[in-house]
Amino acid sequence: MPCERKPMRYGHSEGHTEVCFDDTGRFIVTCGNDGDVRIWESLDDDDPKFITVGEKAYSLALKNGKLVTASSNNTVQIHTFPDGDPDGILTRFTTNATHVTFNSIGSRVAAGSSDFMVKVVEVSDSSQQKTLRGHEAPVLSVTFDPKDDFLASASCDGSVVVWNIEEQTQVISWPLLQKSNDVTNAKSLCRLAWQPGMGKFLAVPVETKVHLYERGSWDHVSTLSDDLLTQPINVVSWSPCGRFLAAGSVGGLLTVWDVNSKLCVERQKHEKGFTVCSLAWHPSGSQIAYTDTEGCLGLLDGLGTSTVAAKKPAKDYDDLFDDDDDRLMDEGLSDTKSPAKKAVGWDDDDDDFLVPATGRVKNRGAFLDDENSLDTGSLKLGQDKFGDNNDDAGSSVAPAAPPVAPLRPVYEGPMPTPPQKAFQPGSSPAHLTHRFMMWNFVGIVRGYNDEQDNAIDVEFHDTAVHHAMHLTNSLGHTMADLSQEGVLLACPSTEELASKLQCLHFSSWDTNKEWMVDLPKGEDARALCLGQGWAAVATSTLMIRLFSIGGVQRELFSLPGPVVCMAGHGEQLLVVYHRATGFDGEQALGVQLLQFSRKKRQLISGEPLPLSQKSYLSWLGFTAEGTPCYVDSNGMVRMLNRSLGNTWTPVCNTRETCKSKSDHYWVVGVHENPQQLRCIPCKGSRYPPTLPRPAVAILPFKLPLCQTTTEKGQMEEQFWRSVLFHNHYSFLSSSGYEIDEDAQNLSQKEQQELLMKMFALSCKLEREFRCVELAEMMTQNVVTLAIRYASRSRRMALAQRLSEIALEKSNQMQEEEQEEPEYSRRYSRRHNQQEEEEDEEERGEELMEEEDGQEMEPEEATETKKRQFHLLLLLTLHKLPVPDSGKMSASSGQPRVTNILDNMMSSKKSAQLSSSGGKPSKSPVLKPLAPKPKTKTQSTLLQMAATKTANKKAQENTEPAANLQKRPDTPPPAPPADNSENKRPKTGFQLWLEENRKSILADNPDLEETDVIKEAMGRFRTLSTEERLSWTERAKGQSGDAADLKKRKRAEGGEGLENENEKAEADESSAKKKKSLDPSSKLSVFAFNQN
Amino acid sequence: MVSFVTARPAPQAAGTVCSAVPVGRKFLNTHTKKQTDMDPSEVEFLAEKEMVKIIPNFSLDKVFLIGGDLGPFNPGLPIDVPVWLALNLKQRQKCRIIPPEWMDVEKLEEMRDLERKEDMFTPVPSPYYMELTKLLLNHASDNIPKADEIRTLVKDIWDTRIAKLRLSADSFISQQEAYAKLDNLTLMEINTIRAFLLDTLNCMYKLRSNVQ
Repeated sequence: MPCERKPMRYGHSEGHTEVCFDDTGRFIVTCGNDGDVRIWESLDDDDPKFITVGEKAYSLALKNGKLVTASSNNTVQIHTFPDGDPDGILTRFTTNATHVTFNSIGSRVAAGSSDFMVKVVEVSDSSQQKTLRGHEAPVLSVTFDPKDDFLASASCDGSVVVWNIEEQTQVISWPLLQKSNDVTNAKSLCRLAWQPGMGKFLAVPVETKVHLYERGSWDHVSTLSDDLLTQPINVVSWSPCGRFLAAGSVGGLLTVWDVNSKLCVERQKHEKGFTVCSLAWHPSGSQIAYTDTEGCLGLLDGLGTSTVAAKKPAKDYDDLFDDDDDRLMDEGLSDTKSPAKKAVGWDDDDDDFLVPATGRVKNRGAFLDDENSLDTGSLKLGQDKFGDNNDDAGSSVAPAAPPVAPLRPVYEGPMPTPPQKAFQPGSSPAHLTHRFMMWNFVGIVRGYNDEQDNAIDVEFHDTAVHHAMHLTNSLGHTMADLSQEGVLLACPSTEELASKLQCLHFSSWDTNKEWMVDLPKGEDARALCLGQGWAAVATSTLMIRLFSIGGVQRELFSLPGPVVCMAGHGEQLLVVYHRATGFDGEQALGVQLLQFSRKKRQLISGEPLPLSQKSYLSWLGFTAEGTPCYVDSNGMVRMLNRSLGNTWTPVCNTRETCKSKSDHYWVVGVHENPQQLRCIPCKGSRYPPTLPRPAVAILPFKLPLCQTTTEKGQMEEQFWRSVLFHNHYSFLSSSGYEIDEDAQNLSQKEQQELLMKMFALSCKLEREFRCVELAEMMTQNVVTLAIRYASRSRRMALAQRLSEIALEKSNQMQEEEQEEPEYSRRYSRRHNQQEEEEDEEERGEELMEEEDGQEMEPEEATETKKRQFHLLLLLTLHKLPVPDSGKMSASSGQPRVTNILDNMMSSKKSAQLSSSGGKPSKSPVLKPLAPKPKTKTQSTLLQMAATKTANKKAQENTEPAANLQKRPDTPPPAPPADNSENKRPKTGFQLWLEENRKSILADNPDLEETDVIKEAMGRFRTLSTEERLSWTERAKGQSGDAADLKKRKRAEGGEGLENENEKAEADESSAKKKKSLDPSSKLSVFAFNQN
Repeated sequence: MVSFVTARPAPQAAGTVCSAVPVGRKFLNTHTKKQTDMDPSEVEFLAEKEMVKIIPNFSLDKVFLIGGDLGPFNPGLPIDVPVWLALNLKQRQKCRIIPPEWMDVEKLEEMRDLERKEDMFTPVPSPYYMELTKLLLNHASDNIPKADEIRTLVKDIWDTRIAKLRLSADSFISQQEAYAKLDNLTLMEINTIRAFLLDTLNCMYKLRSNVQ
């Protein structure tokens, strides 16, 4: 019989804890050392109802809506169930009672006490008491004979006694137990149990075994034992059918025996091995609830007792037809419909409380009342009539009557879910005396509602916003929201007073810092929120009323359903409401997103809100950047993806980081930049207590992509997360907000880098198709980088495809620019750069022509075709200026196709980076130049390339020494890149290196190329200043020719020398930034080792 | 709105220049004082470099200090800062201090019991446990639950350890051992006994050499 052991959960404070089910099996009821009785709707119920019965509760019993508890004030009290109203004191002892129990029909209560006495009291009339004296030590436990004739008790004096209740005499006494002086010192609690139904057996836990005594003869007929049981059994309990017996031991072992076969059918170990001190069977027999001495509550689910019994339906039904009549036909039928769910095997007449499990809690509750009223009347009769028959049945197999069939047909379809109540996101439940009314970005609003004080505390995270406030809550506000401008409070209506909305508008500049509004009669505030300059309140009449923050009434509109919650940010209002009735635990929520900017509009109009299965909404709000976001009760955080048609993307599962099942994270805020999910870890609950003051923790986001353990998956996740979390830039800029362009550029760079990494990885895995797919997501400059990478790793086919993509992209970019001539902020920066760079272009073009001519000659015939393609590409890419490459090809005399690409890429790449790096310093320098008509058609990024080359020239002219310093920072590229290195005029160090390379290599033959350079660097530094200067001079002399050439060109281009100088200055300032921009070093970041 | 101290003052001794670097001050001291022991305030100064979590109630970008970057500070979000800064902010009511994990009655009780049970020194939760307790409890007792109990417990642990230290010094001398090994001692503990022990040993050495 496999059964599922549910994880333990905190129930009460440490100490003896007891558990039972209510008659219907709907609730688990526990009591414990903290003096509370808790009523759990299920094991996962995070907010159980509780009834305080005293300082400590020692024992409880529940039947017929009466809850009997033994508490520390030496009384046995009754409370009504489930309301928890006190219903009088049943009896008193001179010290506390240790165990209370009901008889089978709930008419009497037996209580054993530490003052050695056992009392039997009529529930209806507490004056009718019977006292059983004879124990010589505190009583451990008591149990009624199901037929009410006898009562068994165990005591610390070591005896187990059976009493005749009427005569108040001992029938028999067995000295079975070890003696002790008090219940707390007893080895075992020795909870006795009488078999339900006929009461044929009395089960007595003795050490590690369970003895069964036969009723009447009081013979010890059998013993149940298990090898694994090494520690004393604390408690035994019969299944409702009387066929199975469960036992819980001091060592935390739970054992279930089949009494007929005396075989152990189920063993489970307490997850921590704590002492099990109470056990209760679900009325259906499919679950056992248990508690330990640490106050924790556990549940075994799916016990197969019912299925075992159901295996022999035929035989059982034969019996049934024998001893009952026509009614049974129906019952048999209804039973066979759902045999697995039903516990077959108790007789309907005796056990009116044992209602069949029809699988659906609600139904059971519904017909329970009928059954009760029906059965209690004929109770005595039933007992007499069927007593004998059942006795036989009980001794042979299990008592074999089917469950009471419902008298009206049962609805088996999906059941509607109770709609979740309206709540304020960031608040803890309203019934708590100390609670958070709001915890958001701005601050914390706490509500206190106890005897001395009914007050509200407002505290700001940033004390610069406002100082903390303390308000007396005379109106009984239950809802609050907090913004940088004010505090909004609302209270529900009472019989005399209307529902009120109060706003503490502390940012107001006049002297009135407060306003209040009464809602119309019969209209209650359900949810409220504050935005920038406005407040909104959703009411019970399915309306949303807008107010200005100063108290002017504004628009109002109707919602399609009852509101669940609202959130505001800036000019956006997010409302979630019930769209329809949900079924089978699901909520059917709808969401609206409105914007109150100049152009008021609805961004999301009542679309369904996706939630995890069987969960409800637990938090709703905006990220600090203004993207809607929500959390459901399964801990899934979802964020609006504006770039994918306003869909919701899961970004984090907070439950993944929880240690235990009952731990939760209480979300208080979401930030997109930096990516932070701010929440409060709550141990064993869904919301934090106000004291001790909880600390905020930060969770990272993680999109639930596949295979995030692999490198590919990780990068994909990072990429898409980056894309998602930077959507807000485009939203903010489109709605006219200032945005942090640096951060935006940084994020774009990050995304492109990730794409490049993924590209390199796919390259390595020989997934060229995938490479192309990735390239399609890249920006044009990165594509050129990718082309370079591909050509370097000798994937010419790939490079070719990529260059097609690059072409396409540049065309697209052109079209875009033509279509939208500089009205958007995003493009204006580029245009600035265009202006400054256009003069450079011309020169570039000239050089290009030169280059073409020179390059053709040394080319090999086989490569001509390919190269032509590339040249074509170069030309179509608006005559990319590569001024130095012509010179280079002339000098090196071995240009290859890859080199052309390399050169192109190198200048482009650096241009791209310079665009992201040093944008602001440039425009003022070159403003005076008049824009030429040509610029519109130019691809901006290529123009930037021109600047770069200009920069380079300027640098060389003005500060050759700077180059010397820069070189060390740029790791030299792999051999194929040497050519690109050559194109620059040599520095002093390079000249020196050329001469000394051999000696270095001779000294250290093992060195790699990079290491050689490092070594050389070291040596060069050790040279005296004079020597170094002389090298530098020599270098200058060498590059002089080149410089002259350039100067001449410049003069031809018609540029004044002034401009030249200005530029040089400007470039010097940005020279530092470019240090790390060497393309090859950049590329090396992405390079995967080919070996 | 928030101005940081640019250099934190070193423990002030009479007539010395206030400097951010303790070594500098010690160097100055060598002229006037025999370099045998450190002042408790110097040990405390070192302890102030330990990190502690605070919840700031102001907002500030990253600050760049010689010892490393701090921040950014977000209101309501816990952040690690050195103790000296935490105390400074606390005194200006700019933050709440979250006590270190070990500063908890249950954990300290456990440690105290272990310390009492063992003959040897048990490992301490922080090399500056005494200094930190003193600093945090003196300046931020309102942020630390059960401050008084913690103070008592730490004092108990301290007393037990000092008693052990004295006992081992006593047996060290009475048995005329050449060396002894003591694990898990903190700087403060070593400093409390160093001056006395060294002087004593010197003195005894003189006495013994005179006898022979």
